[in-house]
Amino acid sequence: MPGWFLGYDIVLHLLFALVTLIVSIFAFRIYRLSAQRQPKFFATAFLFISMAYLVNAIMHFFIISKLNENVCSAFKLASVAVLELIGAYFYIVLFSIGLVTLTYMTLRVRSVKVYCLLLITVLISFLFTAEPLQLYHLLSSLLLVYIIIHYLINFLSKKKINALLMLAAFAILLLGNFHFIFSITGGEEYYVIAHFFDLIAYLLILLNLILVQRHEQKTRPTSNRA
Amino acid sequence: MNKKRDRLQIVHDILKAVQDKNGRIKPTHILYKSNLSHQMLDEYLGELLSKGFLIENSTKTGKTYSITQKGFEYLQKYRTIVDFIDSFGLSEPEERRI
Repeated sequence: MPGWFLGYDIVLHLLFALVTLIVSIFAFRIYRLSAQRQPKFFATAFLFISMAYLVNAIMHFFIISKLNENVCSAFKLASVAVLELIGAYFYIVLFSIGLVTLTYMTLRVRSVKVYCLLLITVLISFLFTAEPLQLYHLLSSLLLVYIIIHYLINFLSKKKINALLMLAAFAILLLGNFHFIFSITGGEEYYVIAHFFDLIAYLLILLNLILVQRHEQKTRPTSNRA
Repeated sequence: MNKKRDRLQIVHDILKAVQDKNGRIKPTHILYKSNLSHQMLDEYLGELLSKGFLIENSTKTGKTYSITQKGFEYLQKYRTIVDFIDSFGLSEPEERRI
């Protein structure tokens, strides 16, 4: 990561955490009203993703703030690197749970066994690699491809702007993910570009939610009259 | 418009049928209003009872169903539920149980 970007990434991660939390809360509301399984999985997935961003932002904040050394001594951590590693693992685990839940939702099967198999396979693989961050981006790219296929099918059947927004959002997240991989092996600028893609993707998801809310507000007086 | 009604629409039709009968209805009337087979209706009623949208009442003349507060909320917010589920690609599929 380029030095000048430290701080900006915290703000962006807090923004991503907020957007995903709002989507999660709305999806939980829909689940409470409808008792359907899909909104429950969607809400849970976005809640984990939100937590992942929040943990990442907090850890990065500790690292760059003066509190950093106090925290390290309190928990007897050897160095900032250890703190960063712990933060990275929390982020990887939380985000992976979110993506696995989202992927499971798109598979459209009702099986705890399938969900557990997916989750355990993904999480256990991080214990046996020297490069957990690279593996995480690789696995999340794979999961995102499955999610994109689901939203592509959804768009082709619905042909609605909202469905297109979701397809575009996840496709851009995948693009961002590729840039995160490039940032590990290549130049630092890819890390910034990846965040830019993520920002666009989450804004598209937020726009989709706003469109649903606006439609709800428009239809409210009609339903009251009825 | 979809040729086949999805689950949300069927649930809506059943709850609407109960609501239209002042919140209390016999199963035969639901069958007639919801346009479902007997077996399908039994499945849906079981689901709606377990999820707290309907309650079953036993009377001398047989069973009746009445709508709960949760059922009323579903009918009120039906459009929002459908919009959200359509927009975020969350429609309930024909499930493959494993």
